[in-house]
Amino acid sequence: MISTIFKKELKDTLRDRRTLMTMIVIPIFIFPVIMTIFLKVSEGFAKDVANKTVNIGIVVTPENMNFVKTIENMPKVLGKKKVFVYHDSATVQKHIQENRLQFGVFVPEDFAKNSIENKTSKFKVFFNATELGMKERAETFLNAFEEMEKAKRYVALKVDPASLSPIAFDYRNVASDKETVGKLIGGFLPYLFIVFGFIGCMYPAIDLFTGEKERGTLETLLTTPVSRLQILLGKMGVVVLSGVMAATFTLLGIFLSIEVFQIVKDPKLLEIIHQILTVKFILLMYLLLIPLIVFFAGVMIPITVYAKSFKEAQSIITPLNMVMILPAMVGFFPGIELNAITACIPVVNVVLATKELIAGTLDIGLLLLSFGVMTSLALMAILFSYKRFDRESNLVS
Amino acid sequence: MIEVKNLRKEFELSKQQRKELATDSKIAVAVDDVSFTCEPGRIFSLLGPNGAGKTTTMRMLSTLFKPTSGSITIAGIDAIANPQEARKKIGFLTGSTGLYARLTPNEIIEYYANLYGVSKADFTERKNRLYDLLDMNHFQNKRIGKLSTGMKQKVSICRTMIHDPEIVIFDEPTSGLDVITAENIIKLIRDCKDKGKTVIFSSHIMSEVDLLCDDLAIVHQGKIVHQGTMENFRSEMQTPNLTAEFIKIINENKTV
Repeated sequence: MISTIFKKELKDTLRDRRTLMTMIVIPIFIFPVIMTIFLKVSEGFAKDVANKTVNIGIVVTPENMNFVKTIENMPKVLGKKKVFVYHDSATVQKHIQENRLQFGVFVPEDFAKNSIENKTSKFKVFFNATELGMKERAETFLNAFEEMEKAKRYVALKVDPASLSPIAFDYRNVASDKETVGKLIGGFLPYLFIVFGFIGCMYPAIDLFTGEKERGTLETLLTTPVSRLQILLGKMGVVVLSGVMAATFTLLGIFLSIEVFQIVKDPKLLEIIHQILTVKFILLMYLLLIPLIVFFAGVMIPITVYAKSFKEAQSIITPLNMVMILPAMVGFFPGIELNAITACIPVVNVVLATKELIAGTLDIGLLLLSFGVMTSLALMAILFSYKRFDRESNLVS
Repeated sequence: MIEVKNLRKEFELSKQQRKELATDSKIAVAVDDVSFTCEPGRIFSLLGPNGAGKTTTMRMLSTLFKPTSGSITIAGIDAIANPQEARKKIGFLTGSTGLYARLTPNEIIEYYANLYGVSKADFTERKNRLYDLLDMNHFQNKRIGKLSTGMKQKVSICRTMIHDPEIVIFDEPTSGLDVITAENIIKLIRDCKDKGKTVIFSSHIMSEVDLLCDDLAIVHQGKIVHQGTMENFRSEMQTPNLTAEFIKIINENKTV
């Protein structure tokens, strides 16, 4: 009987355009679309910044005009520039704010003198932090100038630059590339899975419970010789499957982004991603994901059973979405690790376990603990859903 | 046969409901000490104004609601102790019955046949007979959402009868339907009677009751205020028509 109900509900659900959108279309395309837009915008921005001719205002006295000439003669490879000489820093600051200059340099009067005496001069550099990338452009020119000045001093002082560097530190990363990538960006994948797993459950849950009540079909269904538990399990199966499918299509979207749209250009990173996305990884991830989605369905169903209309159900579940998804963001913060405590926190445990799984550092004991916690919660959620579904006050509007 | 004895249904009132109803009582009695018997081959009507307790009674008979006290026997089965067994014997149709808009009549009928455990052979034979009888063949593969109200009603009838129930419960089956569509229901009720099935239907329309029923019970404020055969009701009438008699009985039993 459960399979009869499951098959019918699945057929009905797959004919609902809203569900198809949230279960298949959005998950499969959101990642490639967002990533393509993000990469195009950031690439375009980086290109714009690099190609932009920067107007540099220099407040300088006649004895320090050598600085102006040096900047003007900097090689083109450091970027296009135009240099303007000013006599006061107030005008420079005003022109930066008006976007006529991208940055300004105040050269102290005693710079030439300090240079001869091998003393340090303090340059003021003005920039507008809201003009992204301009501080970096200023640093490029000024660092190059500083290097030239240093070289002059080494010659004047007859010093070998190597003699001023007594130690050369060679930092070696003992973590594998896979582990580094997993720990740094591994939180992103479970976050997407949780978001789409939840949204994937949402519409079918509302449609199959509140919708059935609202359309007047539930009353008839409940007069058939099928137990309420069987009806609940048949319907819940479809809700869970929809959530799992949404998460699967998200994975497919990521796969398409990498393999078809080729958003990852770095061959080393691509190799690491291929190392991560193995069959074993996907199976272990589903081991965590399925009880999580059963838990989501179990939390949603009592609400959809209680709600009298589609709108009411939606207005309760939408804020709940935030409550479920916020813990999923824990994966973005470095330093929060899966341990005996975090493994007992629902949603957080799935995120951290998936992150460790990506990094290849997952402790099997903690995986089983997370799985156990999620399975227990899923069973409790089913029991709670059944209790609500069995209440006659919730069955008919 | 349906046997109902001393049936009572109480609903708990929430604070909000108590406020709305201006009462201190924590419960509302929807059905109070109701007893009646519906015989096979006869049509029993539960007549009453809106809010009299008809739908609650029908929902208890169809096992949707559990009575607070009393007993219900459906075709010899204790419907309170064995609701799932009782449901196998029942066909239930209400005026507010909905259908799955994204499915076709064929899919819906097959779904319900499977839920009732109807064998393949019986399903095919009954489906063909009902489709011919109700003239449903030309729209059997169209989605419900694209059908007219009359067509939908025919699908509902077919869905109710696909397991050939011994007991048929109609809760205000013609409410909201035009006379042509309602005629399908009237025909179905008569057909059930001719086949020796036990039929109970609730209504607040006296003319419909007059047209169909053999026995009737008038319900008001959860209690039966009149019970007997339709023949006796007509012969003992003190007013010029049936509707006036119905109103007279209700007014005589008003407690508030």
